Amino acid sequence: MILEAQDLGWQVRAVRIVESVSFQVRKGETLGLIGPNGSGKSTLLKLLAGILSPSSGEVHINGNPMGRMNRREIGQTLAFVEQQSDTSERLTVRDAVELGRTAWLSALQPWSEKDDCIVAQSLVRVDMAGMEKRSWHTLSGGERQRVHIARALAQQPEILLLDEPTNHLDIQHQISILRLVKALAVTSVIALHDLNQAMACDRVGVMSKGRLLTIGSPSEVLTLDLIRDVFGVSARFLTDTDGSSFIRFQPIQ
Amino acid sequence: MSDIAIEQARRITYRRVGYVSASILLIIAAIALGVTVGETSMPLHLVGQTLANKMLGASYALDPIDAGIIWNYRLTRAIVAAFCGASLSISGVVLQAMLRNALADPYILGISAGASTGAVTVLILGLGGGLLSLSLGAFAGSLVSFVLVVMLARAAGGGVGIQATGLIILSGIAGSQLFNALTSFIITRSANAEQVRGVMFWLMGNLSGVRWDDVMLAVPIATIGICVCIWHRRELDAFTFGADSAASLGVPVRKVQAIVIGAAAMMTAVMVSIVGSIGFVGIVIPHAARFLVGPRHAQLLPVAALMGGVFLVLADIGSRILVPNQVLPIGVITALVGAPGFALILIRGRRTR
Ligand SMILES: Nc1ncnc2c1ncn2[C@@H]1O[C@H](COP(=O)(O)OP(=O)(O)O)[C@@H](O)[C@H]1O
Ligand SMILES: [Mg+2]
Repeated sequence: MILEAQDLGWQVRAVRIVESVSFQVRKGETLGLIGPNGSGKSTLLKLLAGILSPSSGEVHINGNPMGRMNRREIGQTLAFVEQQSDTSERLTVRDAVELGRTAWLSALQPWSEKDDCIVAQSLVRVDMAGMEKRSWHTLSGGERQRVHIARALAQQPEILLLDEPTNHLDIQHQISILRLVKALAVTSVIALHDLNQAMACDRVGVMSKGRLLTIGSPSEVLTLDLIRDVFGVSARFLTDTDGSSFIRFQPIQ
Repeated sequence: MSDIAIEQARRITYRRVGYVSASILLIIAAIALGVTVGETSMPLHLVGQTLANKMLGASYALDPIDAGIIWNYRLTRAIVAAFCGASLSISGVVLQAMLRNALADPYILGISAGASTGAVTVLILGLGGGLLSLSLGAFAGSLVSFVLVVMLARAAGGGVGIQATGLIILSGIAGSQLFNALTSFIITRSANAEQVRGVMFWLMGNLSGVRWDDVMLAVPIATIGICVCIWHRRELDAFTFGADSAASLGVPVRKVQAIVIGAAAMMTAVMVSIVGSIGFVGIVIPHAARFLVGPRHAQLLPVAALMGGVFLVLADIGSRILVPNQVLPIGVITALVGAPGFALILIRGRRTR
């Protein structure tokens, strides 16, 4: 099992934000995390990334408890794209992506041609290749998101954690980023809002009030009852001309 | 590696060697200027002959008073000014990166003021009046004030982050006012006020008392501090998008924060115990350096160190010649130059945000 959450919990003061979450992710799998705002998706991802330390339970990577790995090892194995992160520094797109190499370079090691290649490739993958020299503050929200993803790719991780990566993206790039993540050999956990996008994941986990309600294949998990209970909307499955199904929502009457 | 790559690597190496030698020449030129200019100006050949006598064992016949002024007063002063400027500038760069706050610097955050209080306390309590114990007191004071300021900012709801820009600065102002008041209080109350140097020394800085034993402390501490920061250049870069982002890039956040902030506090404390607290170097110089070479620390740190060094040597010259027959506190000069620079940063900062 490449990534495993064992009875994870996190609380601030007495408030339990995430509670007894356990699941496993297989190598190469894409797991979608869905749930309403405030259900604990971001907190869970931060626990998985080792940015928050759990108040109970443990995260295992390749069978090793994360608490016993050092930060550099974690950075070489796992990359995390936060829901929001910004800077007021006037760095270029290329600078931002080069940060992804941090865990791979020691203080005495010079920047190499290989690092250059990896950075260039990462930029190509998110369709930002021509924009290397652009300054951060001139980028649109979606372009910034793609740079963040490129930086995570430059980490060459085995595991990719993405917190609502499609939020600021136009439709074309929403589709291409999700397709990219699925096509990569990496294991990924993606918090998503769009249930139709979640349908394209290998498995889906549903968060509600800090707990993992259920986890399984999209067709098992995404039932009309569950959507009504968790999200408070009524849904209908429609079938497209190519035979795939998609969900439409209506407020509950 | 291909031939082209080797060729390219060689060219980059040449360029680097070029930059480094140009920088060293620049700082030596500034120090030489600092030695020649003064109440009585010392011609360059006299300076050269003095150095040759002292360092190479030459035996030029020189007026011992001239030689003494050059060797014991002017040269020590210029060297300490250079390393002090570099230290303060690097401290500013590091604090700005760690707090992600363009306005952070050791003076504004109250670190310098805390260092003054620490040093003065050591003097008054008579815990050994030596330079080293003075510096240790200053180091303790600087850490106490930094922790207090950050705690105050946290309690005020900001903490460390982009939104907290204003809060940490306000807390820093409160901290420096408090520690400056404490310093003044301690000095005024103390029976042996004359041995503590004046209040002005600790609040505005002064290079007049600098001698060789100060050089022997300032140079190694500045060198160590700067090397520690340059060693962590990539980790400093990784904080661009915040501490969480740095952690997920593989940086042990707490450890790096402790090391580089500790280095900044150490450099600031030692410089304060030697020359008092000098403002604006730590904020204006890093911004100028960023303007020239961008935000990546591999370039930013050395350039900021160089510019800080040259700036403070020039400021010291200014402090000695601006008013005839009188030496101004060096902090007056850095503030006169720095305050408009600071204003420029505020205006530019607003436009980009
Ligand atoms: N540091 C914190 N302190 C207090 N409450 C928090 C903190 N982090 C998250 N929360 C709360 O935890 C809940 C879950 O947040 P989050 O994980 O961001 O949800 P999601 O990403 O699913 O929208 C929210 O109610 C949020 O207000
Ligand atoms: Mg979230």
